Amino acid sequence: MKKMLAIQISALIIVSGSLGGILIFTDVYEDVHSGIVSVLCLSCLKLEPITQTDFTFETAYSDPHPLFVLENLTNGVIFLHYSEDACLGCDIMYPIIQDLFNITFGKEDMVNEIVNFEGFDIVFYYTNIDHSSDKMKKSFSIYDKNHISGLPMFAIITLGYDNGIIRPYYTTLYGTLGLDNDKDRSTFLIELMQESIDIYNQNKEGYSPN
Amino acid sequence: MEFQIKRLLSQILIFFSANLGALGLKTGFCYPFFYCNSCPAATSACPLRAIEQSVYKNSFYWRLLLFPILILGFFGVTSGRAICGWACPIGLLQRGTGKIARKFKKYPSIKKLGQHQIERYLRYIKYFILIGLVIISSFLIGFIFTDICPIGVLTGTIPTLILYPGKFVPGYYFLAAIIIFILFLILIFTIERGWCRYFCPIGAILAPFNKISMLHISIASKEKFDKECLHCNACSNVCPMGIDVINMNRDPECILCGKCINICPKNLIKYER
Repeated sequence: MKKMLAIQISALIIVSGSLGGILIFTDVYEDVHSGIVSVLCLSCLKLEPITQTDFTFETAYSDPHPLFVLENLTNGVIFLHYSEDACLGCDIMYPIIQDLFNITFGKEDMVNEIVNFEGFDIVFYYTNIDHSSDKMKKSFSIYDKNHISGLPMFAIITLGYDNGIIRPYYTTLYGTLGLDNDKDRSTFLIELMQESIDIYNQNKEGYSPN
Repeated sequence: MEFQIKRLLSQILIFFSANLGALGLKTGFCYPFFYCNSCPAATSACPLRAIEQSVYKNSFYWRLLLFPILILGFFGVTSGRAICGWACPIGLLQRGTGKIARKFKKYPSIKKLGQHQIERYLRYIKYFILIGLVIISSFLIGFIFTDICPIGVLTGTIPTLILYPGKFVPGYYFLAAIIIFILFLILIFTIERGWCRYFCPIGAILAPFNKISMLHISIASKEKFDKECLHCNACSNVCPMGIDVINMNRDPECILCGKCINICPKNLIKYER
């Protein structure tokens, strides 16, 4: 009886101490909060968000566009790629994006490069939500057009004409784009990029980031 | 009976607590029971998802692996598998389907299966699911359990499709997950607590803690038992987990529901700390 009590108390001390320690001394609570609970797991859901390619001026929660977007729009169309460490859809989309812009990057990297797409400059940002800065995490919710909060997510930001003002004009894509194979996904992205560049070229002269 | 009403109230209360995400409460904890973080109202993370993520495709994040195990371990050390009987929303669901399953129990073929020697070996399936599907396959291939999890369909997929019609389309594993979900429904309607008995990987994590848990169910001393037990077998018959209650000693399958305590005419079974 005493032996069992000793085992129980020891086990409780070890488990409680370890749990308390892991909560106090590591970021695991924040990791679970931001990486699992707040981000929709499309694998868990067994569903894919419907991809709607319509462009809009309005950000997801009516927040202002981030400064890095406003400033970089003078350089070209912006392509934002959001991902996370453990995500089946993200793994499917990596090679497609890398081929599209002829760029290589590691899964955990944060990438900001000007890449070339069919002779035009594209400002490319790759953000792994599990390892990124608060600035980029915030932009994830700003461009979550359909309020999905799921990964992978892609935002293509160009310039549009809105009642006399040239403003950021964007669309957001989710998951594996609702398509069955890599070839279709690639073709879909190429066509959308071409459309974004056309719109950008029509409006870039009148744009000012201020 | 009043005692079982308290258990029902506890299950209902915890079900609502698990869904406080609907009011905006999103925490960084893992549930100590089976519930999906893709549920639109989820407050916490599924412990299995955290475990899968910790070893996803040859990676190893020890904190993410330890965190859910320690949460489950804490409840395991204090109360064993009482979480399954008193808190788990899937347990609550099976409590509802249990009455129908009990009727099926009278069919000769189901009764025969229940008494067959193979039945106790089937209970090891949940350990294979935990190690094989949740941990090893996630390490070697990627999410497998998550992609086909019937609890994900029940608490994530279906509510999402109802709440956001036209916003989502079926994913790659949707059909497989639906088939498994239908099998899950058949299981819980034909075998009482069939999911908990044979397949629940969280039950597999909690089960060994029954051996050392502070709270457990105990039978009266041998002397008293031999003197007073009527051998009516009512305790084993009422047990939703199909345990041979009289001969159990901190059985890993016991969910501490207390039905055997309530039914014993001689009060020979009790909770013990």
